[in-house]
Amino acid sequence: METYQIRALSFTYPLREKPALKRIELTVKQGEFVTICGKSGSGKSTLLRHLKTMLTPHGTREGEIFFEGRPLEECDQRTQAAGIGFVLQNPDNQIVTDKVWHELAFGLESLGLESKTIRLRVAEMASFFGIQTWFRKNVTELSGGQKQLLNLASIMAMQPSVLVLDEPTGQLDPIAATDFLGTVKKINCELGTTIIMTEHRLEEVLPLSDRVVVMDQGKIIIDDTPQRVGERLKGMQHTLFWAMPSPVQIYAGVDSDLPCPIAVQDGRKWLNALPLNGRSFEVPAAQCNQGTAPRSKTGPPPAIRLEDVWFRYERDLPDAVKDLSLEVAVGQFYSIVGGNGTGKSTALAIIGGILRPYRGRVHIFGRDICRKGAAKAREEVLNRVALLPQNPQLLFVEKTVELDLYEMLAGAQLSREEKKQKVQAICELTELDGLLKMHPYDLSGGEQQRAALAKVLLREPKILLLDEPTKGLDGHFKFKLADVLKKLTAEGVTVVMVSHDIEFCARYAAVCALFFDGGIITQNTPRAFFSGNNFYTTAANRMARHIFPAAVTIEDVIEACRNSL
Amino acid sequence: MKDAFSTFHPVVNFTYFTAVLLFSMFSLHPVFQAISLTCSVLYFFLLGGQRATRFSLLYLLLFGLFMAVINPAFNHAGVTILFYLKNGNPITLESILYGLASAAMFMAVIMWFSCFNIVMTADKFVYLFGRVVPALALVLSMALRFVPRYRVQIRVISTARQGVGRDVTNGSVFERARNGLQILSMMATWALENAIETADSMKSRGYGLPRRTSFSIFRFDRRDRAVCGVMLLLVSVVFAGAITGSSTMRFFPSLKLPPPNVFSSGVYCAYLALCLLPVIIDLLEELKWKRIKSGL
Amino acid sequence: MQEQPLNAGRPGRRTFIAATLLALVIPGTILFGVFCLGDRKYYFISLLIMLYSMLPFALVFERRRPEARELLVVAVLAAIAVAGRAAFFMLPQFKPVVAIVIITGVCCGAEAGFLVGAVAGFVSNFFFGQGPWAPWQMFSLGVIGFLAGILIKRGFLKKERLPLCLYGGFSAFFIYGGIIDCGSLLMFTPYFSWPALLTVYVSGFWFNVVHAAATVFFLFVLSRPLIEKLDRIKIKYGMLES
Repeated sequence: METYQIRALSFTYPLREKPALKRIELTVKQGEFVTICGKSGSGKSTLLRHLKTMLTPHGTREGEIFFEGRPLEECDQRTQAAGIGFVLQNPDNQIVTDKVWHELAFGLESLGLESKTIRLRVAEMASFFGIQTWFRKNVTELSGGQKQLLNLASIMAMQPSVLVLDEPTGQLDPIAATDFLGTVKKINCELGTTIIMTEHRLEEVLPLSDRVVVMDQGKIIIDDTPQRVGERLKGMQHTLFWAMPSPVQIYAGVDSDLPCPIAVQDGRKWLNALPLNGRSFEVPAAQCNQGTAPRSKTGPPPAIRLEDVWFRYERDLPDAVKDLSLEVAVGQFYSIVGGNGTGKSTALAIIGGILRPYRGRVHIFGRDICRKGAAKAREEVLNRVALLPQNPQLLFVEKTVELDLYEMLAGAQLSREEKKQKVQAICELTELDGLLKMHPYDLSGGEQQRAALAKVLLREPKILLLDEPTKGLDGHFKFKLADVLKKLTAEGVTVVMVSHDIEFCARYAAVCALFFDGGIITQNTPRAFFSGNNFYTTAANRMARHIFPAAVTIEDVIEACRNSL
Repeated sequence: MKDAFSTFHPVVNFTYFTAVLLFSMFSLHPVFQAISLTCSVLYFFLLGGQRATRFSLLYLLLFGLFMAVINPAFNHAGVTILFYLKNGNPITLESILYGLASAAMFMAVIMWFSCFNIVMTADKFVYLFGRVVPALALVLSMALRFVPRYRVQIRVISTARQGVGRDVTNGSVFERARNGLQILSMMATWALENAIETADSMKSRGYGLPRRTSFSIFRFDRRDRAVCGVMLLLVSVVFAGAITGSSTMRFFPSLKLPPPNVFSSGVYCAYLALCLLPVIIDLLEELKWKRIKSGL
Repeated sequence: MQEQPLNAGRPGRRTFIAATLLALVIPGTILFGVFCLGDRKYYFISLLIMLYSMLPFALVFERRRPEARELLVVAVLAAIAVAGRAAFFMLPQFKPVVAIVIITGVCCGAEAGFLVGAVAGFVSNFFFGQGPWAPWQMFSLGVIGFLAGILIKRGFLKKERLPLCLYGGFSAFFIYGGIIDCGSLLMFTPYFSWPALLTVYVSGFWFNVVHAAATVFFLFVLSRPLIEKLDRIKIKYGMLES
């Protein structure tokens, strides 16, 4: 039986000319795991929101949607509320009450179940999701990953037959995301619930999916198995191909008659099956070991130098940053990777002069900003440093993007004409032109990120600090971001980035450092850094390391394969 | 020591505090006041520990003293005139005693409220309201979750603004206030815009369907029934005493206490038992654990 | 889904019954208090009357089964009013509560204004400790929000900066300060006299002046942006007063 049958669905938002959805035809069978992918603004979320009438946006609509054989509009609210589970992106926003147990029971209360049934269902779900240990906690005490699991559990308590997830891991760190996706797969396998999900982390989702639907500009362009999607995207020369998992991209770059691998382990098997001649992959020596070049005494001082820095938030709390030393040269793109809660963001705030260490020195362009009585030097130096926070929404003040950009120049001694020029230049760089009249909160996640970046860049910083700038961005915007950063470093701007996005760091950073337990454990060029790591490395390296240990990026592996075939 | 009384059903907790607070506010009778004040301090000591008690007591004594002095300055009723103020108004013994009595009452009420704050946690309130006004209970529950979340957000926004060179921690009072307002305004946008998704999540989970039920993890069990029975019994005895005048004392124009008799001493005992109820429950629990442990 | 139309704005039969009940119950309470409660009559009569006056709001709100977004607007604004204090950690005695309650009343109507005020008063007591003053706070904040909504609707107040500031200063000083000070007098001195009330007002004068000044300042700076934000939310999602 079909869970959903969508026939010729078109939709246009009010006051827009271009339709958001164009004649969508889609059938989802019971128990299927369907992943929908596409660029931001391709209509994925709009399509998902049509799957439940309570969430359907206002606008003009044509076509039909059938849910379990009946037209969706004819299914009453109660059936839809229980039968169709919906998980949204932001874990915090979906939680309604202040207690975990109450949140689990919320949907069941709405359905009007009696206490006894609710007790049973809640207990069941708490056990299934392993949340009985935080059952009585306040919601505030949970981590982001736990919150999203709670959202999932409180929906599953209503025993839906289909689960719709709209980028559910967009706000989670990699470990929590893997955990979450594993749980979704478990629900799919063990309870037989149909899964329809949009996701940026294709690397992890594609191996779990039965089918992949690719959307572009409101249309479905591909509806196929994960194995075939890569090839077809490649055949179409579609930019979305670069968002495919590393094994798929590598497979597409190498000639072979074998089936396409999706997961890393399949990739290894595929590599083993290739008739390789055993030629190893060499990297030019110049690309190794640049990270810790000895500092010349005579040259210009490094942009950032931290010496034995210690920091804690309160006297009674444990140290957040311990014995941290690092050096970043002018114009370098320095990236810091590492687990959650290791103090990376704190370190960034110390470099930004927002937090003050209780021991150690922080030199910015050779000037110590922590010394007592260095208030003026500190202020001068800090005017050249800007920090882009994890959540771009933290920077929005005004009601349009344009006003928000001008707000950044409010204190500057500039004529109106000069300001205008600056704003225009930044808009060009970050491609904000069409969005200037919009409210910042009406932008999509990727657009918000760019608007925030534009704001920060208007300060014309000499040092740019980025906290997880690729979080929630799709592959397309990551390219753009990388371009912007390249331009900046070419102009001599120093960039320090904290990120979970290993692929991004490996591809674009000049130096990668591993942060652990409040300090930097090791740092090196990406090539040397990732080929030496076992777990903290790119998917391409994990796939090919048993044959080509030095190959880090997808291009490396493809080149290595081509050389030895 | 872990408080056993707060593990009882919210209805029991709430009824208890309502009764004790009402009696404390009503009666200016010295025996009643002594019982109420002592028991509230004792219970707070069990709940909050030595340091908290010492701090509150010090603070309260000062305030109580102030009230005891202020009262005779404005209240000149009473027959026993001690001396005259410069402006010709008399200071009377009655008004001094009355001031002391109201100071004691004030202290007892505050102490009971301090206990109340520890025992009656927010989720118990949400539960109690959920029975009578479910929509408002939900509003309360959401607001209770939002307040800490917004406070964190305010801090995060302020840090983020520092990161782009908008420092809030220095400048004149006016500048700081302006900066604070800017942050508040940013937080308001963030909160309102993000709440839309919460509304979606609520609708998606069927909020607004008719016949909504209310679930809780509290259960009214035998032990709750027993304590409730004892409590009601004591309350009715004390109430009977109050009606017949055992708990009232006349201050003006002259002091007059009702003569003690068998019934009134019974009422005092009942009031003592009522005020000591949580302490007794805690002690019984402690004894039980001691016994279980020694039995092992 | 909805069993009854949302006609809370118009006085219906229910409101009439509630009004008659109140008309009977309030004098009843006063009589009971005067004859039975002796010394403590002022405190309990005022407390009970306050509770009675808050009850209809709660009941009307419950009976019309508000939508999710209405609940959220009330909860969010009340929480902003309480948490807003944290934005002024460097300036003690700077509380935005009254300003936010007024803006709610102005934008979302008298009912929302009352509810946000009362809920904010109640919730703030959870974070700063419940006390016997809680009902007075809830009541006075609720009245401020309610009046703001009524005055806007009747046209006595405009969504402009100056009138709002005037109303803000007035309500913070007289309504909030007046009710709270009166409450604290009744709470702890078991009798009532005009000179005593005057003393309480005099001793709280500067406190109330600062509060009123802060409220005026808040409204001066914040009223326009906040009203814009609320109007945007209302338009975007068709909330309240539709």
